[in-house]
Amino acid sequence: MYPISTRGYVAALLLAWALSGCAGAQPQPAPTLYQKLGGEKGMHAIVEDFAYRLADDPELVAFFANTNIDYFVNSLQDYLCVISDGPCVYRGAPMDKAHQHMGIHEADFNRLVDALQATLLDQPISASARNQLLKRLAAQHAAVMRYQ
Amino acid sequence: MASPLRRWLRRLLVGATALAAVTALAMPAQAGSRLLGTGGVTQIEGAAGGGLSPWGVLAGTASDTEVAVSVAASEAWLDDYGLRVRGIGVNWHDRVEVSYARQRLALDTLGGVLEQEIYGAKLRLFGDPLYHPWGSWSLGVQHKRLGRGQALARAVGAEATQGNDLYLAGSKLFFDAVAGRNLLANLTLRSTRANQGGLLGFGGDRDSGRSLVAEGSLGLFLTPAWVVGVEYRQKPDNLGFAEEQAWQDVFTALFLTRHLSLTGAWLDLGDIAGLENQRGGYLSLQLAL
Repeated sequence: MYPISTRGYVAALLLAWALSGCAGAQPQPAPTLYQKLGGEKGMHAIVEDFAYRLADDPELVAFFANTNIDYFVNSLQDYLCVISDGPCVYRGAPMDKAHQHMGIHEADFNRLVDALQATLLDQPISASARNQLLKRLAAQHAAVMRYQ
Repeated sequence: MASPLRRWLRRLLVGATALAAVTALAMPAQAGSRLLGTGGVTQIEGAAGGGLSPWGVLAGTASDTEVAVSVAASEAWLDDYGLRVRGIGVNWHDRVEVSYARQRLALDTLGGVLEQEIYGAKLRLFGDPLYHPWGSWSLGVQHKRLGRGQALARAVGAEATQGNDLYLAGSKLFFDAVAGRNLLANLTLRSTRANQGGLLGFGGDRDSGRSLVAEGSLGLFLTPAWVVGVEYRQKPDNLGFAEEQAWQDVFTALFLTRHLSLTGAWLDLGDIAGLENQRGGYLSLQLAL
């Protein structure tokens, strides 16, 4: 063990204090994924584009035959907001309950991911933000497919 | 050695290739629903994979309710050799892949031609490259039969002119991994006696038994339809007359549509049959439906 002198200790504390931003320049917190996706405006654009793609896909639109589209769109926007660390509250059912007994096959899940990727590619967002959102949603696969 | 069965299979392959080509070009519909590129391309033994190594995913983009067929034509231009491969693979419900490939190695410097047929099957055990934390894992077998060139294989010390490779392969896509891009990692463990993939026979005077070899590749998706990467494939060294090294390459694959992909690579295949440092280009065209 190396004994630390009191002087050295104080110097280290001062250095740490200096580095932590005593000069007045508060370090910016890293932007959340929500912000990288364009905040509320960006999220709205994503959900709108995505909803149109679902509607245009005859295989996928069938799953929404008995769905209140306004409710779905709002709920999806809240969900995407929450999953990307945004300031929202998702009041819908958890992913497994929300999709139970819908008869979703892997093929349907994959089609939806493909549609979402296409949506994200059309938005003015970075590849990193796009792939980070896909990563977080891909992790929900097990829950979505739990009660099929 | 051209038995009626083999001739029939060859015709079937040519017919299926033509049919697949026509259908793929005439049909703008989706081939399958998995994300583009997640089925890899056709490797030189006919399985879904990179150029050299089979991957843990199955051919095409078929999901649990779909069937995909892919056909590929590949050429490699090395210093003293030329390799031509024609392959076809069928993916049933993203569970089983059956494949057939014909390899033709022209010995430009030594003179002559070697031909090999490869019958392959791959079973996806579990997982998914995107959704499962461990990725997608498959067990595969490749039955290889040397056609033309059996005498040469025997002459250089090979024990057999046919053999079976067994392999376990895993593939996992890491989202947002490098510069925001997705990285596909593949690992394959293979049990084999093949010399130069089987083109120089199986087993040899130096080692007649099976070897466990490792193969790996990394592919970075610069865009969802464009991947660049590296591959490495370890090989046994069974023959006393000439040393054999690992194969490696750098590659790029462009998924132009769901039905058409183009792969280019720069190969370094080491020494082959005593001719040193075989390097060169590789091009592969794949049609899928």
